[in-house]
Amino acid sequence: MQDGFMNIWLYRLGWTYVLFIVFLLLAPVLYIVYISFNEYTFGARIYEFTTDWYTLILADKILVASLKWTGFLAVGVMATAVPMGLLAAKFYKSTRHKVAFVTLMLSPLFVPADIMGSALLIYFKNINHAVEAFGAFLGVTWFHGFLQLGFTTALIGQIIYTVPYAFIVILITMSRYRDQQTEAARGCGANAWQAFWQVEFPQIKVGVFSSLAFVTILSFNEATRTALLKGGFDTFPNVLVSQMLNIGMSGESYAMAGIMAVVSMVFIGSIIIITLIRARGIERKFQPKAEPNPIN
Amino acid sequence: MSALLAIRDSLMGERGLQRWAFYIPVVFMALFFAAPVALTLVWSVFERTMFWMEPGFTLAAYENFFTSARAENYVYSMIHSAVAVVVSFVIGFPIAVFVRRRVVKAAQHRVILLFILPFMISELVRVFAMRPVLGRNGLLNTGLMELGIISEPITIILFSPIGVVIGDVISFLPFMVFAGFLAMEAVQTYIFEVCDDIGVGRARTFRDIIVPLAAPGIFAGGVFIFVNSLGVALVPTILGGPGAVNAGLIVNQAIVALDFPLAMAISAIMLLTLVVLLYVGHRLFDLTKILQPIS
Repeated sequence: MQDGFMNIWLYRLGWTYVLFIVFLLLAPVLYIVYISFNEYTFGARIYEFTTDWYTLILADKILVASLKWTGFLAVGVMATAVPMGLLAAKFYKSTRHKVAFVTLMLSPLFVPADIMGSALLIYFKNINHAVEAFGAFLGVTWFHGFLQLGFTTALIGQIIYTVPYAFIVILITMSRYRDQQTEAARGCGANAWQAFWQVEFPQIKVGVFSSLAFVTILSFNEATRTALLKGGFDTFPNVLVSQMLNIGMSGESYAMAGIMAVVSMVFIGSIIIITLIRARGIERKFQPKAEPNPIN
Repeated sequence: MSALLAIRDSLMGERGLQRWAFYIPVVFMALFFAAPVALTLVWSVFERTMFWMEPGFTLAAYENFFTSARAENYVYSMIHSAVAVVVSFVIGFPIAVFVRRRVVKAAQHRVILLFILPFMISELVRVFAMRPVLGRNGLLNTGLMELGIISEPITIILFSPIGVVIGDVISFLPFMVFAGFLAMEAVQTYIFEVCDDIGVGRARTFRDIIVPLAAPGIFAGGVFIFVNSLGVALVPTILGGPGAVNAGLIVNQAIVALDFPLAMAISAIMLLTLVVLLYVGHRLFDLTKILQPIS
Protein backbone atom coordinates (compact mmCIF):
# COMPACT_ATOMS: atom_id res chain seq x y z
CA MET A 1 0.00 0.00 0.00
CA GLN A 2 2.93 2.39 -0.13
CA ASP A 3 5.03 4.00 -2.80
CA GLY A 4 8.52 2.63 -3.26
CA PHE A 5 10.46 5.70 -2.18
CA MET A 6 9.25 6.27 1.32
CA ASN A 7 11.00 5.44 4.54
CA ILE A 8 9.21 2.38 5.90
CA TRP A 9 9.22 3.80 9.44
CA LEU A 10 7.62 7.05 8.31
CA TYR A 11 5.02 5.00 6.49
CA ARG A 12 4.29 2.95 9.62
CA LEU A 13 4.18 6.14 11.67
CA GLY A 14 1.58 7.52 9.26
CA TRP A 15 -0.61 4.44 9.66
CA THR A 16 -0.19 4.52 13.44
CA TYR A 17 -1.34 8.13 13.44
CA VAL A 18 -4.40 7.40 11.28
CA LEU A 19 -5.46 4.47 13.46
CA PHE A 20 -4.76 6.44 16.65
CA ILE A 21 -7.11 9.24 15.54
CA VAL A 22 -9.84 6.73 14.62
CA PHE A 23 -9.35 5.13 18.06
CA LEU A 24 -9.45 8.57 19.72
CA LEU A 25 -12.79 9.29 18.06
CA LEU A 26 -14.28 5.92 18.94
CA ALA A 27 -12.79 5.33 22.41
CA PRO A 28 -15.16 7.63 24.38
CA VAL A 29 -18.18 5.98 22.74
CA LEU A 30 -16.88 2.50 23.51
CA TYR A 31 -16.20 3.65 27.07
CA ILE A 32 -19.82 4.65 27.66
CA VAL A 33 -20.97 1.31 26.24
CA TYR A 34 -18.62 -0.31 28.79
CA ILE A 35 -20.02 1.85 31.63
CA SER A 36 -23.59 1.02 30.58
CA PHE A 37 -22.98 -2.61 31.55
CA ASN A 38 -21.73 -1.70 35.05
CA GLU A 39 -24.25 -2.18 37.84
CA TYR A 40 -22.71 0.74 39.75
CA THR A 41 -22.41 2.98 36.63
CA PHE A 42 -19.75 5.64 36.21
CA GLY A 43 -17.27 6.52 38.94
CA ALA A 44 -17.61 3.34 41.01
CA ARG A 45 -14.49 1.45 41.97
CA ILE A 46 -16.24 -1.89 41.45
CA TYR A 47 -17.26 -3.18 38.04
CA GLU A 48 -20.03 -5.72 38.06
CA PHE A 49 -21.47 -6.75 34.71
CA THR A 50 -25.20 -6.26 34.37
CA THR A 51 -27.80 -5.81 31.65
CA ASP A 52 -30.26 -4.35 34.16
CA TRP A 53 -30.02 -0.81 32.77
CA TYR A 54 -31.07 -2.07 29.36
CA THR A 55 -33.90 -4.15 30.87
CA LEU A 56 -35.04 -1.02 32.67
CA ILE A 57 -35.21 0.90 29.38
CA LEU A 58 -37.21 -1.82 27.64
CA ALA A 59 -39.65 -1.90 30.56
CA ASP A 60 -40.15 1.87 30.41
CA LYS A 61 -43.27 2.58 28.34
CA ILE A 62 -42.25 6.18 27.58
CA LEU A 63 -38.88 5.06 26.25
CA VAL A 64 -40.38 2.25 24.17
CA ALA A 65 -42.92 4.74 22.74
CA SER A 66 -40.08 7.14 21.94
CA LEU A 67 -38.23 4.32 20.17
CA LYS A 68 -41.33 3.65 18.09
CA TRP A 69 -41.63 7.31 17.07
CA THR A 70 -37.93 7.33 16.18
CA GLY A 71 -38.53 4.26 14.02
CA PHE A 72 -41.58 5.80 12.28
CA LEU A 73 -39.60 8.95 11.50
CA ALA A 74 -36.65 6.92 10.20
CA VAL A 75 -38.95 4.93 7.87
CA GLY A 76 -40.63 8.13 6.67
CA VAL A 77 -37.29 9.81 6.04
CA MET A 78 -35.93 6.72 4.26
CA ALA A 79 -38.98 6.57 2.00
CA THR A 80 -38.73 10.23 0.98
CA ALA A 81 -35.13 11.42 1.29
CA VAL A 82 -33.54 8.64 -0.76
CA PRO A 83 -35.86 8.91 -3.81
CA MET A 84 -35.41 12.66 -3.55
CA GLY A 85 -31.62 12.28 -3.43
CA LEU A 86 -31.80 10.01 -6.48
CA LEU A 87 -33.98 12.46 -8.41
CA ALA A 88 -31.64 15.29 -7.41
CA ALA A 89 -28.56 13.36 -8.58
CA LYS A 90 -30.24 12.63 -11.93
CA PHE A 91 -31.26 16.29 -12.23
CA TYR A 92 -27.69 17.42 -11.46
CA LYS A 93 -26.35 15.35 -14.36
CA SER A 94 -28.70 17.01 -16.83
CA THR A 95 -28.95 20.60 -15.61
CA ARG A 96 -26.86 23.42 -16.99
CA HIS A 97 -27.07 25.31 -13.69
CA LYS A 98 -24.90 22.86 -11.75
CA VAL A 99 -23.37 25.33 -9.31
CA ALA A 100 -26.68 26.91 -8.29
CA PHE A 101 -28.35 23.51 -7.96
CA VAL A 102 -25.59 21.92 -5.92
CA THR A 103 -25.43 24.99 -3.69
CA LEU A 104 -29.15 24.62 -2.95
CA MET A 105 -28.87 20.89 -2.29
CA LEU A 106 -25.76 21.02 -0.08
CA SER A 107 -26.43 24.26 1.80
CA PRO A 108 -28.36 22.53 4.64
CA LEU A 109 -25.03 20.96 5.65
CA PHE A 110 -23.72 24.42 6.44
CA VAL A 111 -26.70 25.64 8.43
CA PRO A 112 -26.47 24.50 12.06
CA ALA A 113 -29.30 22.38 13.44
CA ASP A 114 -30.54 24.98 15.95
CA ILE A 115 -30.69 27.75 13.35
CA MET A 116 -32.45 25.57 10.76
CA GLY A 117 -34.83 24.14 13.35
CA SER A 118 -35.79 27.59 14.67
CA ALA A 119 -36.33 29.00 11.17
CA LEU A 120 -38.55 26.03 10.24
CA LEU A 121 -40.45 26.28 13.54
CA ILE A 122 -41.39 29.89 12.85
CA TYR A 123 -42.05 29.14 9.16
CA PHE A 124 -44.51 26.34 10.00
CA LYS A 125 -46.23 28.39 12.69
CA ASN A 126 -46.65 31.28 10.24
CA ILE A 127 -48.04 29.00 7.55
CA ASN A 128 -50.39 27.45 10.11
CA HIS A 129 -51.61 30.89 11.27
CA ALA A 130 -52.06 32.14 7.71
CA VAL A 131 -53.91 29.05 6.48
CA GLU A 132 -56.17 28.93 9.55
CA ALA A 133 -56.96 32.62 9.13
CA PHE A 134 -57.82 31.96 5.48
CA GLY A 135 -60.05 29.05 6.57
CA ALA A 136 -61.79 31.29 9.11
CA PHE A 137 -62.29 33.93 6.39
CA LEU A 138 -63.95 31.31 4.18
CA GLY A 139 -65.90 30.00 7.15
CA VAL A 140 -64.54 26.43 6.81
CA THR A 141 -62.68 24.26 9.32
CA TRP A 142 -60.78 22.10 6.82
CA PHE A 143 -57.54 24.01 7.32
CA HIS A 144 -57.53 23.66 11.08
CA GLY A 145 -54.21 22.22 12.23
CA PHE A 146 -52.57 22.53 8.80
CA LEU A 147 -48.77 22.09 9.27
CA GLN A 148 -49.20 22.29 13.03
CA LEU A 149 -46.08 21.04 14.82
CA GLY A 150 -46.15 17.23 14.81
CA PHE A 151 -44.97 14.22 12.86
CA THR A 152 -45.15 15.89 9.41
CA THR A 153 -43.14 18.94 10.43
CA ALA A 154 -40.52 16.80 12.20
CA LEU A 155 -40.33 14.64 9.08
CA ILE A 156 -39.82 17.67 6.82
CA GLY A 157 -37.06 18.93 9.15
CA GLN A 158 -35.30 15.57 8.97
CA ILE A 159 -35.70 15.31 5.18
CA ILE A 160 -34.02 18.72 4.77
CA TYR A 161 -31.17 17.45 6.94
CA THR A 162 -30.72 14.05 5.23
CA VAL A 163 -31.32 14.80 1.53
CA PRO A 164 -27.85 16.37 1.04
CA TYR A 165 -26.20 13.15 2.32
CA ALA A 166 -28.38 10.92 0.09
CA PHE A 167 -27.72 13.24 -2.87
CA ILE A 168 -23.95 13.26 -2.46
CA VAL A 169 -23.62 9.49 -1.86
CA ILE A 170 -25.74 8.65 -4.94
CA LEU A 171 -24.01 11.32 -7.02
CA ILE A 172 -20.58 9.87 -6.25
CA THR A 173 -21.75 6.39 -7.37
CA MET A 174 -23.46 7.88 -10.41
CA SER A 175 -20.29 9.69 -11.50
CA ARG A 176 -18.94 6.28 -12.65
CA TYR A 177 -22.00 5.64 -14.83
CA ARG A 178 -21.81 6.59 -18.50
CA ASP A 179 -24.90 8.25 -19.98
CA GLN A 180 -24.17 6.59 -23.33
CA GLN A 181 -25.41 3.34 -21.77
CA THR A 182 -28.85 4.88 -21.28
CA GLU A 183 -28.78 6.21 -24.84
CA ALA A 184 -27.83 2.74 -26.11
CA ALA A 185 -30.70 1.16 -24.13
CA ARG A 186 -33.16 3.74 -25.51
CA GLY A 187 -31.78 3.10 -29.00
CA CYS A 188 -32.52 -0.62 -28.51
CA GLY A 189 -36.16 0.18 -27.84
CA ALA A 190 -36.28 0.43 -24.03
CA ASN A 191 -38.48 3.15 -22.54
CA ALA A 192 -37.05 5.58 -20.00
CA TRP A 193 -38.10 3.50 -17.00
CA GLN A 194 -36.68 0.26 -18.45
CA ALA A 195 -33.42 2.01 -19.31
CA PHE A 196 -33.19 3.28 -15.75
CA TRP A 197 -34.32 0.15 -13.92
CA GLN A 198 -32.53 -2.46 -16.04
CA VAL A 199 -29.36 -0.63 -17.05
CA GLU A 200 -28.61 2.29 -14.74
CA PHE A 201 -30.00 1.18 -11.39
CA PRO A 202 -27.96 -2.07 -11.13
CA GLN A 203 -24.83 0.08 -11.47
CA ILE A 204 -25.80 2.68 -8.89
CA LYS A 205 -27.67 0.47 -6.43
CA VAL A 206 -24.68 0.37 -4.06
CA GLY A 207 -24.96 4.14 -3.68
CA VAL A 208 -28.74 3.98 -3.27
CA PHE A 209 -28.55 1.28 -0.58
CA SER A 210 -25.68 3.05 1.20
CA SER A 211 -27.68 6.26 1.23
CA LEU A 212 -30.66 4.34 2.64
CA ALA A 213 -28.49 3.21 5.53
CA PHE A 214 -26.90 6.65 6.09
CA VAL A 215 -30.25 8.39 6.01
CA THR A 216 -31.77 5.90 8.47
CA ILE A 217 -28.93 6.37 10.93
CA LEU A 218 -28.93 10.15 10.55
CA SER A 219 -32.66 10.18 11.27
CA PHE A 220 -32.29 7.78 14.19
CA ASN A 221 -29.64 10.04 15.74
CA GLU A 222 -31.18 13.44 15.03
CA ALA A 223 -32.19 15.39 18.14
CA THR A 224 -32.07 19.17 17.70
CA ARG A 225 -34.32 19.82 14.69
CA THR A 226 -36.75 17.16 15.89
CA ALA A 227 -36.95 18.70 19.36
CA LEU A 228 -38.03 22.02 17.84
CA LEU A 229 -40.45 20.58 15.27
CA LYS A 230 -41.97 17.45 16.82
CA GLY A 231 -44.92 18.92 18.70
CA GLY A 232 -46.42 16.45 21.15
CA PHE A 233 -44.35 13.28 20.88
CA ASP A 234 -40.81 12.35 21.92
CA THR A 235 -38.06 10.57 20.04
CA PHE A 236 -35.37 8.47 21.69
CA PRO A 237 -32.58 11.08 21.33
CA ASN A 238 -34.91 13.77 22.69
CA VAL A 239 -35.61 11.69 25.81
CA LEU A 240 -31.87 11.13 26.22
CA VAL A 241 -31.18 14.89 26.02
CA SER A 242 -33.85 15.68 28.61
CA GLN A 243 -32.57 12.90 30.89
CA MET A 244 -29.01 14.23 30.64
CA LEU A 245 -30.05 17.78 31.38
CA ASN A 246 -32.65 17.09 34.05
CA ILE A 247 -31.56 13.91 35.83
CA GLY A 248 -27.86 13.85 34.99
CA MET A 249 -25.68 10.91 34.05
CA SER A 250 -27.68 7.96 35.33
CA GLY A 251 -27.24 4.28 34.47
CA GLU A 252 -30.28 4.58 32.25
CA SER A 253 -28.73 7.50 30.31
CA TYR A 254 -25.59 5.46 29.68
CA ALA A 255 -27.69 2.52 28.48
CA MET A 256 -29.68 4.79 26.15
CA ALA A 257 -26.47 6.28 24.74
CA GLY A 258 -25.16 2.71 24.47
CA ILE A 259 -28.17 1.63 22.39
CA MET A 260 -27.75 4.62 20.05
CA ALA A 261 -24.02 3.97 19.67
CA VAL A 262 -24.36 0.22 19.08
CA VAL A 263 -27.19 0.62 16.54
CA SER A 264 -25.08 3.13 14.56
CA MET A 265 -21.91 1.05 14.78
CA VAL A 266 -23.63 -2.18 13.69
CA PHE A 267 -25.49 -0.49 10.86
CA ILE A 268 -22.63 1.55 9.46
CA GLY A 269 -20.01 -1.11 10.31
CA SER A 270 -21.94 -3.67 8.23
CA ILE A 271 -22.10 -1.29 5.30
CA ILE A 272 -18.37 -0.62 5.52
CA ILE A 273 -17.65 -4.35 5.61
CA ILE A 274 -20.01 -5.09 2.69
CA THR A 275 -18.41 -2.23 0.71
CA LEU A 276 -14.92 -3.57 1.41
CA ILE A 277 -15.88 -7.13 0.43
CA ARG A 278 -17.57 -5.86 -2.75
CA ALA A 279 -14.57 -3.71 -3.67
CA ARG A 280 -12.29 -6.71 -3.19
CA GLY A 281 -14.60 -8.85 -5.37
CA ILE A 282 -14.60 -6.24 -8.15
CA GLU A 283 -10.81 -5.94 -7.96
CA ARG A 284 -10.45 -9.71 -8.32
CA LYS A 285 -12.90 -9.77 -11.23
CA PHE A 286 -10.90 -7.21 -13.15
CA GLN A 287 -7.46 -8.54 -12.24
CA PRO A 288 -5.51 -9.45 -15.39
CA LYS A 289 -5.51 -13.20 -15.87
CA ALA A 290 -2.71 -15.27 -17.38
CA GLU A 291 -3.57 -16.44 -20.87
CA PRO A 292 -1.89 -19.15 -23.01
CA ASN A 293 0.74 -17.73 -25.33
CA PRO A 294 -0.63 -18.11 -28.89
CA ILE A 295 2.93 -18.40 -30.37
CA ASN A 296 3.54 -21.65 -28.59
CA MET B 1 -56.88 23.87 -28.99
CA SER B 2 -53.65 22.40 -30.31
CA ALA B 3 -51.71 24.71 -28.01
CA LEU B 4 -53.68 23.35 -25.04
CA LEU B 5 -52.98 19.79 -26.15
CA ALA B 6 -49.29 20.61 -26.46
CA ILE B 7 -49.26 22.01 -22.91
CA ARG B 8 -51.13 18.92 -21.66
CA ASP B 9 -48.63 16.65 -23.43
CA SER B 10 -45.67 18.55 -22.07
CA LEU B 11 -47.07 18.31 -18.52
CA MET B 12 -48.56 14.83 -18.53
CA GLY B 13 -46.80 12.98 -21.35
CA GLU B 14 -44.04 10.46 -20.61
CA ARG B 15 -41.28 13.01 -20.96
CA GLY B 16 -43.33 15.72 -19.24
CA LEU B 17 -43.94 13.64 -16.15
CA GLN B 18 -40.31 12.63 -15.96
CA ARG B 19 -39.19 16.21 -16.31
CA TRP B 20 -41.50 17.41 -13.57
CA ALA B 21 -40.48 14.61 -11.22
CA PHE B 22 -36.88 15.82 -11.40
CA TYR B 23 -37.98 19.21 -10.11
CA ILE B 24 -39.40 17.76 -6.87
CA PRO B 25 -36.12 18.11 -4.89
CA VAL B 26 -35.61 21.69 -6.13
CA VAL B 27 -39.15 22.70 -5.22
CA PHE B 28 -38.97 20.95 -1.86
CA MET B 29 -35.64 22.55 -0.94
CA ALA B 30 -36.79 25.95 -2.15
CA LEU B 31 -40.01 25.71 -0.10
CA PHE B 32 -38.68 24.20 3.11
CA PHE B 33 -35.04 25.27 3.16
CA ALA B 34 -34.37 28.39 1.10
CA ALA B 35 -37.66 30.15 1.98
CA PRO B 36 -37.44 29.79 5.80
CA VAL B 37 -33.75 30.67 5.77
CA ALA B 38 -34.34 33.77 3.67
CA LEU B 39 -37.37 34.76 5.75
CA THR B 40 -35.31 34.87 8.96
CA LEU B 41 -34.21 38.32 7.81
CA VAL B 42 -37.86 39.45 7.45
CA TRP B 43 -38.99 37.97 10.78
CA SER B 44 -36.04 39.56 12.55
CA VAL B 45 -37.55 43.03 11.96
CA PHE B 46 -41.08 42.05 13.04
CA GLU B 47 -42.46 43.44 16.27
CA ARG B 48 -42.48 41.23 19.32
CA THR B 49 -45.84 40.53 20.98
CA MET B 50 -46.54 38.70 24.24
CA PHE B 51 -46.39 35.18 22.77
CA TRP B 52 -45.63 35.69 19.11
CA MET B 53 -44.74 38.53 16.69
CA GLU B 54 -46.55 40.75 14.22
CA PRO B 55 -45.55 42.29 10.88
CA GLY B 56 -43.81 45.63 11.12
CA PHE B 57 -40.38 47.13 10.85
CA THR B 58 -38.22 47.54 13.92
CA LEU B 59 -34.56 46.99 14.62
CA ALA B 60 -35.30 46.35 18.31
CA ALA B 61 -34.10 42.74 18.11
CA TYR B 62 -30.75 43.81 16.63
CA GLU B 63 -30.45 46.58 19.19
CA ASN B 64 -31.21 44.06 21.92
CA PHE B 65 -28.51 41.75 20.55
CA PHE B 66 -25.76 44.33 20.04
CA THR B 67 -26.30 46.18 23.32
CA SER B 68 -26.37 43.11 25.54
CA ALA B 69 -23.82 40.49 26.59
CA ARG B 70 -25.09 38.33 23.71
CA ALA B 71 -22.92 40.16 21.15
CA GLU B 72 -19.85 39.63 23.33
CA ASN B 73 -20.75 35.95 23.76
CA TYR B 74 -21.22 35.64 20.01
CA VAL B 75 -17.71 37.03 19.41
CA TYR B 76 -16.26 34.65 22.04
CA SER B 77 -17.99 31.71 20.44
CA MET B 78 -16.56 32.79 17.06
CA ILE B 79 -13.09 32.70 18.61
CA HIS B 80 -13.70 29.21 20.06
CA SER B 81 -15.02 28.05 16.70
CA ALA B 82 -11.95 29.42 14.91
CA VAL B 83 -9.73 27.54 17.38
CA ALA B 84 -11.71 24.35 16.70
CA VAL B 85 -11.14 24.83 12.95
CA VAL B 86 -7.39 25.27 13.40
CA VAL B 87 -7.10 22.23 15.71
CA SER B 88 -9.19 20.10 13.33
CA PHE B 89 -7.01 21.19 10.41
CA VAL B 90 -3.77 20.41 12.27
CA ILE B 91 -5.04 16.96 13.30
CA GLY B 92 -7.19 16.03 10.29
CA PHE B 93 -5.53 17.41 7.18
CA PRO B 94 -2.26 15.42 7.52
CA ILE B 95 -4.43 12.27 7.42
CA ALA B 96 -5.91 13.33 4.09
CA VAL B 97 -2.42 14.09 2.74
CA PHE B 98 -1.02 10.77 4.00
CA VAL B 99 -3.87 8.77 2.46
CA ARG B 100 -3.67 10.51 -0.92
CA ARG B 101 0.13 10.54 -1.02
CA ARG B 102 1.14 7.22 0.51
CA VAL B 103 -1.74 4.78 0.22
CA VAL B 104 -2.35 3.06 -3.14
CA LYS B 105 -5.34 4.43 -5.03
CA ALA B 106 -7.51 1.32 -4.71
CA ALA B 107 -7.23 1.39 -0.90
CA GLN B 108 -7.62 5.14 -0.34
CA HIS B 109 -11.41 5.15 -0.09
CA ARG B 110 -11.31 2.23 2.34
CA VAL B 111 -9.08 4.18 4.73
CA ILE B 112 -11.45 7.14 4.56
CA LEU B 113 -14.34 4.76 5.31
CA LEU B 114 -12.76 4.27 8.76
CA PHE B 115 -13.73 7.85 9.59
CA ILE B 116 -17.33 7.34 8.48
CA LEU B 117 -17.97 5.13 11.51
CA PRO B 118 -17.29 7.73 14.23
CA PHE B 119 -18.92 10.43 12.08
CA MET B 120 -22.18 8.48 11.81
CA ILE B 121 -22.48 7.82 15.54
CA SER B 122 -24.84 10.39 16.98
CA GLU B 123 -23.15 13.69 17.77
CA LEU B 124 -25.22 13.69 20.95
CA VAL B 125 -23.65 10.40 22.06
CA ARG B 126 -20.13 11.46 21.08
CA VAL B 127 -20.41 14.72 22.99
CA PHE B 128 -22.09 13.03 25.95
CA ALA B 129 -19.31 10.42 25.96
CA MET B 130 -16.73 13.13 26.59
CA ARG B 131 -18.11 13.77 30.08
CA PRO B 132 -16.94 10.48 31.66
CA VAL B 133 -13.68 10.83 29.75
CA LEU B 134 -12.78 14.43 30.61
CA GLY B 135 -14.43 14.74 34.03
CA ARG B 136 -12.61 15.11 37.35
CA ASN B 137 -12.89 11.37 37.99
CA GLY B 138 -12.91 10.60 34.29
CA LEU B 139 -10.91 8.15 32.25
CA LEU B 140 -8.24 10.68 31.25
CA ASN B 141 -7.56 12.07 34.73
CA THR B 142 -7.63 8.64 36.37
CA GLY B 143 -5.29 7.23 33.72
CA LEU B 144 -2.80 10.10 33.98
CA MET B 145 -2.85 9.95 37.79
CA GLU B 146 -2.31 6.21 37.84
CA LEU B 147 0.63 6.64 35.48
CA GLY B 148 2.02 9.27 37.86
CA ILE B 149 2.03 11.97 35.16
CA ILE B 150 -0.21 14.30 37.19
CA SER B 151 -0.85 14.45 40.92
CA GLU B 152 -4.20 16.29 40.78
CA PRO B 153 -7.04 16.02 38.27
CA ILE B 154 -7.02 18.50 35.40
CA THR B 155 -10.29 20.38 35.73
CA ILE B 156 -9.92 22.87 32.91
CA ILE B 157 -10.83 20.34 30.19
CA LEU B 158 -14.49 20.02 31.12
CA PHE B 159 -17.17 22.67 31.74
CA SER B 160 -14.87 25.29 30.26
CA PRO B 161 -14.16 26.85 26.83
CA ILE B 162 -11.45 24.20 26.36
CA GLY B 163 -14.10 21.52 26.89
CA VAL B 164 -16.24 23.17 24.21
CA VAL B 165 -13.33 23.24 21.74
CA ILE B 166 -12.57 19.56 22.49
CA GLY B 167 -16.24 18.70 21.92
CA ASP B 168 -16.30 20.62 18.62
CA VAL B 169 -13.14 18.91 17.40
CA ILE B 170 -14.43 15.44 18.36
CA SER B 171 -17.75 16.20 16.65
CA PHE B 172 -16.50 17.66 13.40
CA LEU B 173 -12.93 16.38 12.86
CA PRO B 174 -14.01 13.63 10.39
CA PHE B 175 -15.40 16.34 8.13
CA MET B 176 -11.94 17.92 7.83
CA VAL B 177 -10.58 14.50 6.82
CA PHE B 178 -13.32 14.09 4.15
CA ALA B 179 -12.97 17.64 2.83
CA GLY B 180 -9.16 17.36 2.86
CA PHE B 181 -9.33 14.04 1.04
CA LEU B 182 -11.58 15.54 -1.64
CA ALA B 183 -9.31 18.60 -1.84
CA MET B 184 -6.20 16.47 -2.32
CA GLU B 185 -7.74 15.18 -5.57
CA ALA B 186 -6.44 18.46 -7.02
CA VAL B 187 -2.84 17.65 -6.05
CA GLN B 188 -1.60 15.14 -8.62
CA THR B 189 1.09 12.60 -7.65
CA TYR B 190 3.56 13.93 -10.22
CA ILE B 191 3.64 17.24 -8.32
CA PHE B 192 5.17 15.43 -5.34
CA GLU B 193 7.64 13.70 -7.66
CA VAL B 194 8.70 17.06 -9.14
CA CYS B 195 9.20 18.46 -5.63
CA ASP B 196 11.23 15.39 -4.66
CA ASP B 197 13.32 15.69 -7.83
CA ILE B 198 14.34 19.26 -7.12
CA GLY B 199 14.96 18.45 -3.45
CA VAL B 200 12.32 20.66 -1.85
CA GLY B 201 11.69 19.85 1.83
CA ARG B 202 8.43 18.44 3.15
CA ALA B 203 7.50 21.64 5.01
CA ARG B 204 7.91 23.81 1.93
CA THR B 205 6.06 21.33 -0.29
CA PHE B 206 3.21 21.41 2.21
CA ARG B 207 3.14 25.19 2.57
CA ASP B 208 3.78 26.26 -1.05
CA ILE B 209 2.27 23.41 -3.06
CA ILE B 210 -0.26 21.30 -1.16
CA VAL B 211 -2.09 24.00 0.79
CA PRO B 212 -2.62 26.40 -2.15
CA LEU B 213 -3.83 23.60 -4.46
CA ALA B 214 -6.09 22.02 -1.85
CA ALA B 215 -7.30 25.39 -0.53
CA PRO B 216 -10.94 25.16 -1.81
CA GLY B 217 -11.52 21.86 0.02
CA ILE B 218 -9.70 22.98 3.15
CA PHE B 219 -11.76 26.16 3.19
CA ALA B 220 -15.05 24.28 2.73
CA GLY B 221 -14.14 21.91 5.57
CA GLY B 222 -13.11 24.85 7.73
CA VAL B 223 -16.37 26.74 7.09
CA PHE B 224 -18.42 23.62 7.90
CA ILE B 225 -16.64 23.21 11.24
CA PHE B 226 -16.76 26.93 12.00
CA VAL B 227 -20.49 27.42 11.44
CA ASN B 228 -21.44 24.19 13.19
CA SER B 229 -19.23 25.00 16.19
CA LEU B 230 -20.88 28.40 16.25
CA GLY B 231 -24.41 27.13 15.83
CA VAL B 232 -24.77 23.69 17.44
CA ALA B 233 -26.02 24.32 20.97
CA LEU B 234 -25.47 20.77 22.15
CA VAL B 235 -21.71 21.10 22.71
CA PRO B 236 -21.69 24.11 25.08
CA THR B 237 -24.83 22.76 26.80
CA ILE B 238 -23.18 19.44 27.67
CA LEU B 239 -19.48 20.34 27.91
CA GLY B 240 -19.38 24.08 28.48
CA GLY B 241 -20.75 24.39 31.98
CA PRO B 242 -22.53 27.46 33.35
CA GLY B 243 -22.14 30.55 31.23
CA ALA B 244 -20.93 28.74 28.13
CA VAL B 245 -22.86 29.84 25.07
CA ASN B 246 -22.71 29.94 21.31
CA ALA B 247 -25.00 31.39 18.67
CA GLY B 248 -27.18 28.27 18.58
CA LEU B 249 -27.68 28.34 22.32
CA ILE B 250 -28.54 32.06 22.30
CA VAL B 251 -31.19 31.33 19.63
CA ASN B 252 -32.60 28.49 21.74
CA GLN B 253 -32.74 30.72 24.81
CA ALA B 254 -34.56 33.42 22.81
CA ILE B 255 -37.12 30.86 21.59
CA VAL B 256 -37.70 29.58 25.12
CA ALA B 257 -38.23 33.22 26.20
CA LEU B 258 -40.73 33.54 23.28
CA ASP B 259 -38.62 36.36 21.80
CA PHE B 260 -38.95 35.13 18.21
CA PRO B 261 -37.66 38.31 16.47
CA LEU B 262 -34.48 38.13 18.59
CA ALA B 263 -34.01 34.43 17.72
CA MET B 264 -34.40 35.30 14.05
CA ALA B 265 -32.06 38.29 14.32
CA ILE B 266 -29.30 36.09 15.72
CA SER B 267 -30.02 33.45 13.06
CA ALA B 268 -29.82 36.15 10.38
CA ILE B 269 -26.48 37.41 11.75
CA MET B 270 -25.19 33.85 11.81
CA LEU B 271 -26.37 33.16 8.24
CA LEU B 272 -24.88 36.45 7.09
CA THR B 273 -21.56 35.37 8.64
CA LEU B 274 -21.82 32.13 6.65
CA VAL B 275 -22.67 33.88 3.38
CA VAL B 276 -19.80 36.36 3.80
CA LEU B 277 -17.37 33.52 4.55
CA LEU B 278 -18.50 31.52 1.51
CA TYR B 279 -18.38 34.60 -0.72
CA VAL B 280 -14.85 35.51 0.40
CA GLY B 281 -13.80 31.86 0.06
CA HIS B 282 -15.26 31.64 -3.43
CA ARG B 283 -13.54 34.85 -4.53
CA LEU B 284 -10.22 33.66 -3.14
CA PHE B 285 -10.23 29.96 -4.01
CA ASP B 286 -13.08 29.31 -6.48
CA LEU B 287 -15.06 26.79 -4.43
CA THR B 288 -16.61 25.21 -7.55
CA LYS B 289 -13.31 23.34 -7.95
CA ILE B 290 -14.43 21.03 -5.12
CA LEU B 291 -17.17 19.69 -7.40
CA GLN B 292 -14.80 18.66 -10.18
CA PRO B 293 -14.31 15.05 -8.97
CA ILE B 294 -18.06 14.40 -9.11
CA SER B 295 -18.90 16.45 -12.22
